[in-house]
Amino acid sequence: MKAEAVAAHRGGMWAWLFQRITAILLIVCLAIHLTFTHLLNIGDLGYDNVANRLAHGGLTAVDIILLAAGIYHALNGLRMVLLDYWLTSRVRALAVTIFLWAVGIAFLVYGIWGLWPWIGY
Amino acid sequence: MSKKPRETANVGAGLWKATGMWAWLLFRISGLILVFYLGAHIIVISTSQFGVGGGTFDNVMNFLDHPVAIVLDVALVVAVLYHALNGVRIILMDLGVGIHRHKVIFWSAMAVVVVCFVIFAYVAFSYLANDVGPWNGALGVAS
Repeated sequence: MKAEAVAAHRGGMWAWLFQRITAILLIVCLAIHLTFTHLLNIGDLGYDNVANRLAHGGLTAVDIILLAAGIYHALNGLRMVLLDYWLTSRVRALAVTIFLWAVGIAFLVYGIWGLWPWIGY
Repeated sequence: MSKKPRETANVGAGLWKATGMWAWLLFRISGLILVFYLGAHIIVISTSQFGVGGGTFDNVMNFLDHPVAIVLDVALVVAVLYHALNGVRIILMDLGVGIHRHKVIFWSAMAVVVVCFVIFAYVAFSYLANDVGPWNGALGVAS
């Protein structure tokens, strides 16, 4: 019983594994994202500049991976903080997990919608 | 006197003397800052697409060229780099790499943070000082 409760509060094995996988994706993709937006194109950020960059499909792919991995990593991280301080019951934990998935999917859709005008610009 | 009472008395004060506890606290704080930033980033960029022909997006980018925004960007870089490199250390610990030299690994990771930060800060402050990036256009990247 005790062990079961502790396991639930640790967030689960798959969440732990995906947090590591998304972490590695974020390090690689964020390095590319920051290099192209803030080191190489500093001062040039504008609609056409971004469109020129995203015309190379690889950078669009990097941005979409960043969106998905970043949202998962951020919201699962937030979930882990909540599990530590506030989510004492299993019902509450499940409700918050479902709520965060809904929020995450909404942000993913809105983020891809925001990239859309540049794809095939 | 046996060792036990002394060890018990040291719990609490001793925990927060350990590098790992401060590393954990900063990891959590930087993580929460980054969650907030990611949400704001997605909302600001996507919402600017409601403008026609990129006009709103360009206005937002001009607004974010303000020196205060750039200084905040540099602060964000600190949060990103700390979170990323401490995260690398955590993954190494998970894999069992360097557990016996974890302090060396922590301070090596922090050295990488400092080196990367210097690069970003140099570019940002060159931009603020000259209104242009130091290697702008020099590398032939589309602009």
